[in-house]
Amino acid sequence: MSASDEDRIAYLAGEPVESLTSEERAELDELRGLLEADEMWAQPPAELEDRVVAAIADAAGTAEAPEPARAPRPQQFATPVQPAEVRRAARDAEAREPRQAPAPRPAPSPQAARVVKKPRRERSWVMTILERPAYAFGVLAVLVAVVAGITALSNSGGGSPSPAPLQFAMVVNGTSLAPGAHGSATLTKMSSGWQVELSASGLPHLTNGRYYQAWLKNSAGVLVPIGTFNDAVKVTLWSGVPVTQFRTLSVTRQEANGNPASSGERVLIGTIKNSG
Amino acid sequence: MAHAGLSTGFRDGDPDAVRAVYREYGRLVYAVAYRVLGDRGLAEEATQQTFVKAWKAAASFDAERELGPWLVAIARRVAIDVSRREAVRAADPLDSVAPGHPALTSTPESAEAVYDVWEVRRALDELPPEEQDIVRLQHFRGYTHVEIAERLDLPVGTIKSRSFRAHKRLAALLGHLREE
Repeated sequence: MSASDEDRIAYLAGEPVESLTSEERAELDELRGLLEADEMWAQPPAELEDRVVAAIADAAGTAEAPEPARAPRPQQFATPVQPAEVRRAARDAEAREPRQAPAPRPAPSPQAARVVKKPRRERSWVMTILERPAYAFGVLAVLVAVVAGITALSNSGGGSPSPAPLQFAMVVNGTSLAPGAHGSATLTKMSSGWQVELSASGLPHLTNGRYYQAWLKNSAGVLVPIGTFNDAVKVTLWSGVPVTQFRTLSVTRQEANGNPASSGERVLIGTIKNSG
Repeated sequence: MAHAGLSTGFRDGDPDAVRAVYREYGRLVYAVAYRVLGDRGLAEEATQQTFVKAWKAAASFDAERELGPWLVAIARRVAIDVSRREAVRAADPLDSVAPGHPALTSTPESAEAVYDVWEVRRALDELPPEEQDIVRLQHFRGYTHVEIAERLDLPVGTIKSRSFRAHKRLAALLGHLREE
């Protein structure tokens, strides 16, 4: 049975909602995963605007005039007679980019159609909210529910909501140091951090001062240790950094020799490819 | 959204129009590039390349159409190209993993995910600042309502009501875009 619109909004807002189906949760978790992602909130540096304008001015100047310092006259770009280089660039870009544009409605090619249609299907809950015949009443109901919910929560002492856990999964593969190793990991957001449940086979049990250490790494190459263990058959690790940003999980062989840094002897590695 | 005149100005390379288009779409293009590349510096490079490529191809752009979907396709392609270039570079110094090992293969996000990023980021930009703050602190920072209230020095009830309002608006914005 489909959950009500207000339940979906409440779940999206982090309220504990029991009535959602697993499919609905997955759809909303995908959106929540996007809201947690760094790229949703990162701002480009202010000077990037000047760089973009300058780069286009440079391109225009290069295409139109032999003197680089000359003020660009890009309006000539749109005239029928263009320098060969510009015509080539435009033709190349046109051939590669615009035909793949995910225009909202038209489906000029199978690829474009896929780009357009898939997100529509994936976010059908949003469509459902707005397409239902009783939407007008639904909006009123949501408003009433929101007010009632706020009132109830305020009266209950204002305890913080406990959102349903956000979860990722990844495959881990052995490196050349352990080519037979493979497994998987589940990464779950908990109130105290990210719980990483790793299960892998093909790695020998290490003892006598030798052990495995798991790490998470972000795109800048920063390594964060998340735990040590003797074998990886079934191990639970904990991360204090978000796996939405530290997407690569690796396992190294270590020795208890007083040096806590990574040995560089990676035996397992995997990366979160997609959110949700 | 950019109107036809702005698209025409961009197509013609008018610097003011280029700036206006950047201000309208720069953050969104950057978000898409960042999504694919996972690196701010590379995302900046890809953003710059995207606008240059768009300008170069702009003569073929129908100014009556919306610029955004066209830009996101270019941004995606540019970011994938940058990602592939970086993947080749990054393969050399790795000490313990054979080049080309499947575990190291970096697959950029799918086109669908990139389009999701574009739409959600655009919806977030349309939230009032106080609601955007709540959503950011709640989802990106992982704060509870109580923690947000302490941080913003506001009553918990106010935070909760803003949170509900923000998420409702967010859903409506996304739904509206999808109904177009």
